[in-house]
Amino acid sequence: MVKKLNTARCFLMFGITDIQIVIGYLLAIGFALACIVYGYVNWHNGGEDHGS
Amino acid sequence: MAVDPLTLVAVTAVYLLMVIGLGYIGYKKTKEHDDYLVAGRKIHPVVLALSYGATFISTSAIVGFGGYAAYLGMGVIWLTVLNVGIGILLAFVIFGKKTREIGHRLGAVTFPDLMGKQYSSRFIQSASSVIIIIGMPLYTAAILIGGARFIETTLNVPYDSALIGFAAIVAAYVILGGLIAVMYTDALQGGIMLVGMTLLLLLTYIHLGGVVEAHTALQALSDQIPASLAAGGHTGWASMPAFASPIWLTLITSIVLGVGIGVLAQPQLIVRFMTVANTKAIHRAVAVGGPFILMMTGVAFTVGALTNVYFIKTQGQLALTAAGGNIDSIIPAYINASMPDLFVIIFMLALLAAAMSTLSSLFHTMGTAVGYDLWTVIRQERCSMRVTQIGTVVMIIASVIVAYGLPGSIIARATVMFMGLCASAFLPAYIHALYSTRPSTRAAIISLVVGAAVWFIWTAFVHLAESKPLGLSGLLFGADAVLGMPWQVVDPLVIALPLSFVALAGVLLWERIAGKSGDVPA
Repeated sequence: MVKKLNTARCFLMFGITDIQIVIGYLLAIGFALACIVYGYVNWHNGGEDHGS
Repeated sequence: MAVDPLTLVAVTAVYLLMVIGLGYIGYKKTKEHDDYLVAGRKIHPVVLALSYGATFISTSAIVGFGGYAAYLGMGVIWLTVLNVGIGILLAFVIFGKKTREIGHRLGAVTFPDLMGKQYSSRFIQSASSVIIIIGMPLYTAAILIGGARFIETTLNVPYDSALIGFAAIVAAYVILGGLIAVMYTDALQGGIMLVGMTLLLLLTYIHLGGVVEAHTALQALSDQIPASLAAGGHTGWASMPAFASPIWLTLITSIVLGVGIGVLAQPQLIVRFMTVANTKAIHRAVAVGGPFILMMTGVAFTVGALTNVYFIKTQGQLALTAAGGNIDSIIPAYINASMPDLFVIIFMLALLAAAMSTLSSLFHTMGTAVGYDLWTVIRQERCSMRVTQIGTVVMIIASVIVAYGLPGSIIARATVMFMGLCASAFLPAYIHALYSTRPSTRAAIISLVVGAAVWFIWTAFVHLAESKPLGLSGLLFGADAVLGMPWQVVDPLVIALPLSFVALAGVLLWERIAGKSGDVPA
């Protein structure tokens, strides 16, 4: 049972067990996704602004 | 290397022809000074994103910091967190939109020009340009060295010829085509880098038997940590170093914070926000820039750490040992040893593209600092495009001279130093300029001076990685560093940037209490 849990844990974290590294990867990917979402949501916003 | 030299030369020649072609388009489109300085403020959002990303990611991020990941482990991924979260999301959304708006309103065409006009201060414009002129050649020289070493080893060109030839090719399109040529070529180079890094990630995992298998094998190497690294806090290549150990402090303060925060105040990146016509372009660029930077740095750091698995499997030694002890040689050594010939060519092009895209932007920024900002302040008149071009030539020559004087394993270190200096000197004043309705010139000047001075003092007298080779501390105090551990491994940025913020806040508070205006004579 313990072995099964460990295997599942390794698999879920793609073989990395240090939580600090896992959080780092999740945040890096999360920020990249946030960039995509931000760009998509604001795709047509700000076009009228010429700054003058 | 095993790649057919003729194929490599042919592919490189095609790439260079494309670069020259784009440079020529930039040259033809450059009619006025504003075209040369801010690309006519008409750049497409995708070009902005790729140009920003390709300038941001030099050989340093791929080879230098990829090498550091091989040395220190996957903890460098925290730099990617900051690169994407701060370097793109925060930089574009919080800083980029305001910079574009204020830049357009004031007619600013460079970072020092933006600061000088927003604060109505010639001192701030000239001090900003002087910091660029003094600090940027170091970073530029490191990029030049990386590119020249790469050309030397892959194309069998003598180092001196490679260095001069590399600088001359980039110089040609920067001098003639200005920022339009720089950003167009950046976009091409960014595309090549994206292809190269994607293939690198896929082939590495295929090579090592899959994602989980590769990471598991990396974790299993923790019993092979050299005693010296273990004593410094290294716990393995798939885990963070021990908290507050010397390696942890180096990783977090120098690499993660130094570069992660430093990027916010990079003059060559900030000027790009002023090249687009409206805020919509910045919104769209965010969607491209975030994934681009993730693929650049995330792949470099992941593959960097995994090179240890490859070299242990094939040569029975860790990556650093396999690369002859030079951190900058780990990634090239891994590519040459493990990848198919075609990929070696693609990746080498990606490296060349990374070096050229950053180099061209640095040449342009240094050139405008001399040939526009300083000239404008000294002569008190708007200069011609020819003067800016001459300034660019002067700074390119200066960078080549500096490149001959720098030691080895310098790429990542020089990047950290320049980014640290820029952040310490510029960031508080830059934020104040963007978000204050009546920015205080006095507070900005004091913040800039305190940030730059503290950064220099800490670099020259405390931070061992620089104070020892510089030798000033040894000369004046008879010791490589005047403070002991752990201060010797705490990056100058970590000390100088907060003090620069405190100086700004302190002066603003004093002005409010004393009822003083923040204006000072221009």
